[in-house]
Amino acid sequence: MLFTFERGIEMSSSESHEEAANDRVMFGFWVYLMTDLLMFAVLFAVYAVLHDNTLGGPTGRDLFSLPLALTETLILLTSSFTCGIGMIAARAGHKKQVLSWFGITFLLGLMFLGLELKEFTEFIHAGHTISTNAFFSSFFTLVGTHGIHITSGLLWMAITLAFVMKRGLNKHIVRKLALLSLFWHFLDIVWIFIFTIVYLRAFV
Amino acid sequence: MSEPTHNDAKNGHGTTWTYIIGFILSLVFTINAYILVVNKMVSGTALLTTILAFAVLQMAVQIFFFLHLGRGPKPLYNVTFFVGTVGLILVVVVGSIFIMNNLHYNMAPLDSTKKLAQDEAIYQVGGVNTGACQVTHENHKVTIEDDKISPVHVNALLCDTLTFINKDSKVHTIAFGPYPQHQSYAGESDQAVHKGFPITVTLNQTGAYIFHDTLDSQVTGDFKVTQ
Repeated sequence: MLFTFERGIEMSSSESHEEAANDRVMFGFWVYLMTDLLMFAVLFAVYAVLHDNTLGGPTGRDLFSLPLALTETLILLTSSFTCGIGMIAARAGHKKQVLSWFGITFLLGLMFLGLELKEFTEFIHAGHTISTNAFFSSFFTLVGTHGIHITSGLLWMAITLAFVMKRGLNKHIVRKLALLSLFWHFLDIVWIFIFTIVYLRAFV
Repeated sequence: MSEPTHNDAKNGHGTTWTYIIGFILSLVFTINAYILVVNKMVSGTALLTTILAFAVLQMAVQIFFFLHLGRGPKPLYNVTFFVGTVGLILVVVVGSIFIMNNLHYNMAPLDSTKKLAQDEAIYQVGGVNTGACQVTHENHKVTIEDDKISPVHVNALLCDTLTFINKDSKVHTIAFGPYPQHQSYAGESDQAVHKGFPITVTLNQTGAYIFHDTLDSQVTGDFKVTQ
């Protein structure tokens, strides 16, 4: 209400009411994203402090694969882009385009998750688990937390797309998609820092 | 909803072009950072600073072109919130790194850290062996019965274990060093051994050592640890 008050008086009451509700939801979700960002920041700080403590075991430099990390980054970046294009289609009311763009986003997200799980299982099979040393504890916590976010984002996307398929596009669905795309872009931004600080940094 | 594209930029929504520009810029930053690291064109702090700068630039690009922050209806509470969060993040991250590096720098000297690690059976610190045993080998038993120790002499190898068993009903407190000294061995000193509760010490220091009952100079023995 607060931040649309000035515009609100110029609009018809129902439209301004709708807009105000929309802005409130968006702002609330934004606040959630910022607190989530704080949590990631703490995990990044932990990783920055502990990444050298390998108890004599192999370091990130010995284990990480840069081409894999780059592939993951490009996949997630592309999915962030397709998600944005899907959002434009949603605002324009093109149901088919929404389904295909978000469908591509979903598949790319799934691919990303698959690559991350592949990396994790390889580490675990080689005997590097979350309890091996402080480096792996902080690594699995940071990257795994991001992975959990991606998983929940994919679930959310699947449910929302099912709604779009069943009921078509209305204002509420478009708002849901807008929140989802905000979340998805946010996860891409967090990943840029994981790519830089965890993967690239290991080879500096 | 039907004619949205005209006002999209003003309403804080993106157009296809803003997404394409954002996407291309992000690609450029990602690939640049990757190539810099792989080809080692610069090194050390300069490289780290450069790739961090690329990450921050990419974040700025995505926040502007994908999240459209700062282009919504005014007043911009979300921008305020974002700036506040970034401030908090800087305090938390930079503060933690600064404090922990400082702590590391001012930590106890290596010898005492090594000793501490040995006592706690931590066999490596920062890739340096501390002398603590990673796995233990043979177990040697020393039995105290009727104030007599058997065997009196123990020959052991590094990383064997030594167990003190008390068969008397009174408590024997074992200290290391010749009577009446109280020295510590492998972080242990003055171990009270009760009947039925043996005490085991990991032999992670080589050399010849004497142990005794703190109350009885006659109850004494020694052990020799070789490599």
